[in-house]
Amino acid sequence: MSVPEVPSRSPSIGAAGGTDAIARFTGGGSDYFRLLVRGNVLVAVTLGIYRFWLSNDMRRFLWSNTEIGGESLEYTGRGIELFLGFLIGIAVLLPLYVVFAVVPLMIPGFKEEGASSLLFLLLLLLGQFAIYRARRYRLTRTVFRGVRLHQTGSAWGYAFRSAGWWILIFWTLGLAYPWAEANLERYKMRNTFYGDLPGHFAGTGSALFTRGIVLWLIVVGPILAILLVAPFANWSAVDAALSTQKVTHTNIAGVISVAAVMWVVIAALALYPAFQALTMRWWLAGIRFGKIEVASSLRTAEVYRIWLRFLVYAVLLGVAAAVVSSVLLGAIIGSMSGLGSISTITVSGPATPHIPLLAQVAGTGIALLVYVTVVLCYSVLYQLVVKLALWRAAVSSLDVANFQMIELVKAEGQQSSPFGEGLADALNVGSF
Amino acid sequence: MSSLGTGIYFDGVTGARHEVAVDLAPVALRILSTAGEVLTEWPYTEIERLSAPTEVLRLGRKGSDVLARLDIRDAKLMAEIGDHSSAVDPGAVSEGRERLRVVGWSLAAVASLVVLGVFGVPLLASRITPLIPISVERHLGEAVDEQMRSMLDKDHAGMRFKCGGADGEAAGQAAFDKLVRRLEAGAALGLPLRAAVVRRAEANAITLPGGRIYVFQGLINKADTPDELAAVIAHEIGHVSHRDGTRTALESAGLSLLFGMLLGDFTGGGAVVIAAKMMLESAYSREVEASADAYGVSLMSRIGGNPRALGVVLARIGGATEPAMNILLDHPETKARVAAINAMAGPAAGATLLDAAEWTAVKGICSGK
Repeated sequence: MSVPEVPSRSPSIGAAGGTDAIARFTGGGSDYFRLLVRGNVLVAVTLGIYRFWLSNDMRRFLWSNTEIGGESLEYTGRGIELFLGFLIGIAVLLPLYVVFAVVPLMIPGFKEEGASSLLFLLLLLLGQFAIYRARRYRLTRTVFRGVRLHQTGSAWGYAFRSAGWWILIFWTLGLAYPWAEANLERYKMRNTFYGDLPGHFAGTGSALFTRGIVLWLIVVGPILAILLVAPFANWSAVDAALSTQKVTHTNIAGVISVAAVMWVVIAALALYPAFQALTMRWWLAGIRFGKIEVASSLRTAEVYRIWLRFLVYAVLLGVAAAVVSSVLLGAIIGSMSGLGSISTITVSGPATPHIPLLAQVAGTGIALLVYVTVVLCYSVLYQLVVKLALWRAAVSSLDVANFQMIELVKAEGQQSSPFGEGLADALNVGSF
Repeated sequence: MSSLGTGIYFDGVTGARHEVAVDLAPVALRILSTAGEVLTEWPYTEIERLSAPTEVLRLGRKGSDVLARLDIRDAKLMAEIGDHSSAVDPGAVSEGRERLRVVGWSLAAVASLVVLGVFGVPLLASRITPLIPISVERHLGEAVDEQMRSMLDKDHAGMRFKCGGADGEAAGQAAFDKLVRRLEAGAALGLPLRAAVVRRAEANAITLPGGRIYVFQGLINKADTPDELAAVIAHEIGHVSHRDGTRTALESAGLSLLFGMLLGDFTGGGAVVIAAKMMLESAYSREVEASADAYGVSLMSRIGGNPRALGVVLARIGGATEPAMNILLDHPETKARVAAINAMAGPAAGATLLDAAEWTAVKGICSGK
């Protein structure tokens, strides 16, 4: 269902007699930039421990600046909760890792490959379990108009369902993806509640499939065509035609395979923003809470604009980083070479010029510092120019129908434990 | 004195939005409906400020299960509430204080984990190592061997990676085996030794868990006497006897836990983790090498070889006996090592471990003919 865009901020009467509300994002980029820079410096200083408090600050900023029908969301989570969740996650994973490292050594003739593929499957399941539980944590920390969201349903049920779908997606070269997404989203949303108002998901796999199949064909199609045609081609005729040249059909096949792989990579990168825009639009437009319906007017061009801006900034940052680090390292090596005569006590008289130990250690330390700084700059850039901009674009694209129903919602649900968040972090599957 | 302002109130029971008047009484904030009826009273000591956009002051009640919320956009009223309740904290002072506390504790945790890495991990590893059965160590050795082979055998020589297999190399292999057997007899290890020469250009030798020793072709080329080669193998047998391979594996696992799982999990942290691991591992390895040197010297004396040969060959190849030890293990380090070896070593017994013909054969063990 598509709803025409309502220009005014205040709720207005929609076509069906319900009230439409629009959403907007009120956060400024410079505030978020300050938050990210300060947080990332502290993350580096504490060797990563501060990341839980940074994520918490980021969520608070994103939530509280998201305004629907004139009221903003509120995030009530705390950094210490995420940290404790992480410790519990480690406490669960550590014995698992130890068992899988030790048991194959104790049993003679036990194949290491068997153990590691079993561990992979187990971690795949645990990762999906963690994603579902982390979602529950986030929802129960989300408050809107004095009412919190919550989630029911079984995390293990979701984990098996999701793992099964991912295996199917792998074997169908991604063709099962739309139905997997629709099915998993339906599971999540029918277990999601805003107060006593039950959510559900109205998006369908076939709708996502028909919108995305063109992208899939452009990326994967050429390889499929080659694989289908190759066995039937008359290779001896090709060789005969090429007999005057210094190439055979194997050379040509090699060139074609390299070109095909390059095509897949380039096409996938170039079309990723389009894919991202259409899945986001499809997902947002499928969200329902009772009679409250969401529509999204997110434009593909907007998502392309965001990614292109990131590309430009990334190149500029790369150039700046290269210049700064080469000047810095040059200065260090220059100042250190004066010390060379003191610490080169050689036993065998090496033929190559000897860099003193102190300079080696200092150089390694500074190189490390420069590297970490540059990588963190890229992380801030990505969060600011891509993630924040996508969030803003998605929020501003929303149109919420029958918003008046929100007045009747009764509060329900309790806070849940952050264990899922911690496990997701320890397994590196968390999206925040 | 009390003052009136307006706000938006959600009672935490339903999602309904109420436009309300806010009255600042002496001990409590009172929320009134537009008709003037008192909806609720919040004592100033129970008020807390909640996350909201910058232009909004959002208040709730501390520790309450009912998520009642009062949103205020009126700057004058905001300031007045701030005068009554310290919890409102307009400059976010307490937030900054909490941040400092988190950073302080995190730094303390990092320091304690680093101390654990420097002292605790090697101590724990050396306590656990003797408890691990030899059968497990051999199993571990096979896994490491497979990995090592694929790492070292860059030319994918396969079976030909080991020297001594060709017809022209057989005599060299026999002489090498004789040397190894003599050392092994002197060592009296609890497990069979499996030593081989492999085609690698570096002057080096490595020991894997479970009694496997690989001597690199580069070392055979660099060694001038049978005793020099024997001294390096004796040093490696020291690693086997001390079960250093297993201990190193345990230490490495411990460090991975400390610096991979607990610390360093942030963008760009991977490089920090690798650097920290390498620094610590090379710090551990100094002690391990020193005790293997001592073992090698005493084994050489026991079988009647030249105990100073290890120092001679070390000085010649510049100290890089172990891979990944080059950071921090610089030339002055080698000089100290050689001095320590010479201080331990008694005079040479003068026996020859291999005769001239056998030594020539060993030199040709990788001739490939």
